[in-house]
Amino acid sequence: MPLIEMINVNRQYGSGRTLVEALHPTNFVLNKGEFVAIIGPSGSGKTTFLTILGLLQSPTQGKIFVNGKDTSKMNSGQRTDLRFNKFGFILQASNLIPFLSVNDQFKVVDKFSRSKRRSRNSAELLRLLDLQNVANNYPSNLSGGERQRAAIARALYNNPEIILADEPTASLDSKRAQQVVSLLAQVAHESQRGVIMITHDTRLLAMTDHVYEMQDGFLRQQK
Amino acid sequence: MFLAIKEILHNKMRYLLVVFTIFLISYMVFFLTSLAVGLARENRTAVDQWDAKTVVISGYANKSLVASTIPQNSYQDYDKGKDVAKLGQVSVVSQLKDSKKKINTNVFGVDWKSFISPKLIDGRLPEKNHEVVVDDALKNDSIKLNSQIKINGSSKYYKVVGITKNNSFFATPVIFTNMDVFRTMKYGSSRTKNISTLVFKNNKKVNATGLEQISIKDLINHIPGYTAQVLVFSFMIAAMVIITFLIIGIFMYIITIQKISLYGVMRAQGIRTARIIESLFYQILILTGIGAGLALLLIGVTQFFLPKTVPFYSDWLAYIVLTLAIMVMALLGGSLSMRRVLKIDPLSAIEGE
Ligand SMILES: Nc1ncnc2c1ncn2[C@@H]1O[C@H](COP(=O)(O)OP(=O)(O)O)[C@@H](O)[C@H]1O
Ligand SMILES: [Mg+2]
Repeated sequence: MPLIEMINVNRQYGSGRTLVEALHPTNFVLNKGEFVAIIGPSGSGKTTFLTILGLLQSPTQGKIFVNGKDTSKMNSGQRTDLRFNKFGFILQASNLIPFLSVNDQFKVVDKFSRSKRRSRNSAELLRLLDLQNVANNYPSNLSGGERQRAAIARALYNNPEIILADEPTASLDSKRAQQVVSLLAQVAHESQRGVIMITHDTRLLAMTDHVYEMQDGFLRQQK
Repeated sequence: MFLAIKEILHNKMRYLLVVFTIFLISYMVFFLTSLAVGLARENRTAVDQWDAKTVVISGYANKSLVASTIPQNSYQDYDKGKDVAKLGQVSVVSQLKDSKKKINTNVFGVDWKSFISPKLIDGRLPEKNHEVVVDDALKNDSIKLNSQIKINGSSKYYKVVGITKNNSFFATPVIFTNMDVFRTMKYGSSRTKNISTLVFKNNKKVNATGLEQISIKDLINHIPGYTAQVLVFSFMIAAMVIITFLIIGIFMYIITIQKISLYGVMRAQGIRTARIIESLFYQILILTGIGAGLALLLIGVTQFFLPKTVPFYSDWLAYIVLTLAIMVMALLGGSLSMRRVLKIDPLSAIEGE
């Protein structure tokens, strides 16, 4: 069973003469252990696609199945819980809570999880992302790169089955970008997670299993 | 609780402002309450001391004790037994020997053996006509045990032989004399056996033409100015408590609006709105708790620095009730923001700041 399946999903913004079809009807499947990259020019609909996959917004039409369950039949509370339990987001804008130190970002996950989950070892994550020295800093006291890595650490912390990353390497130097992408690849391949990454950096595509290109709201598989 | 506290600690200045506002409002509420209770008590403690159920006063007195006179032939049939007491009241001006200062006081004429005879905290009950018992509030005017006082410019001095406390009526302290002294002061002679009122310890019914039986509560409410004064204070206090609702409502609404994108991030992470609202209410509880708590501390200290003549009375039960009222109002104010929080779209996390 695929982790996520998207069937005939499209997304329109506005109406009448201002109608924009940001995403044309699209079919897409993400399986366990897959690392998928999405490329494409800005404004082509990549973020729209990713946020619909992540249940952050509803499609205009079509259905999204997560672990075989139809999300259109869920209420918003159930979708919120699904996000909390299955998804890890690495967003363009920060996905960190400004009044929590890096360490406390993890604590929130522990506090709010209803089921006893297996969280990743936070010390290990901090080491992996070279954040040990700033673990007690607030997001506003982190450099752009540190903030991005903290966001990645936060996304990985709840051991999500599905990781959605919107340009996670945008503010990183190429060495760190390589490290982050290989970490995502490792998460996908070794712990059988599904990872989708939007990126502009074509040098990073070598580590991915599939590459899709988005153009004017149309998604085409390249690899 | 975790989110609530972490956020307060991270934005100390912003939330300190809220605490400070709550503190000021609570302190004013407590202060006004203390004055209201203090003033009310000055009107009535002497009546409360009787621990009685009803009084019988003249039908013409319009339920006002100070206006009541009952002649002997009207009351003598009912003045029977230990549960009935005669009282004479007259407003007088007292003067300490060798002092020019005139002090407004009440004279309560009583039988020293009746149940409304004052409870002493010092000295003894009078044995002669020119011996009196006074309320200890008069020590603010240097009237103490063994003081010699003039009443209404009398030529002879009265000697203070006993001290009582919490005996204030119509906002002035009470001087207790025997019935004869009272009658001389009010009617010029002790031969007229008039009294002001008969006080009944129990609910015994009295039906007599020309007399009216009223409850103690009624009697207090008809002390001139008493009801109006209590009402004015109640309105002020209620207004302040309601203002809490508005201020917290507005404060929290502004803070909530500023946090929309942050809430978006939390929603995107899968934190339920219920958690966010819970955190909002925890914050309000914490902030009002601290603010009102500090106000309680300060009010506790205040009474030690106020002059004794200020009618300030710490009513801790009232403070607790008002603190709860302020908290409820603050929580209601917070619920103004709830709709806003419920509408938060996790997508606002993507759109960024
Ligand atoms: N909330 C929105 N309202 C209206 N139009 C939107 C909204 N979000 C995105 N769009 C439009 O949809 C198209 C795709 O946007 P987006 O998915 O952000 O592209 P990308 O991430 O590839 O840059 C753009 O034309 C954009 O203007
Ligand atoms: Mg985008």
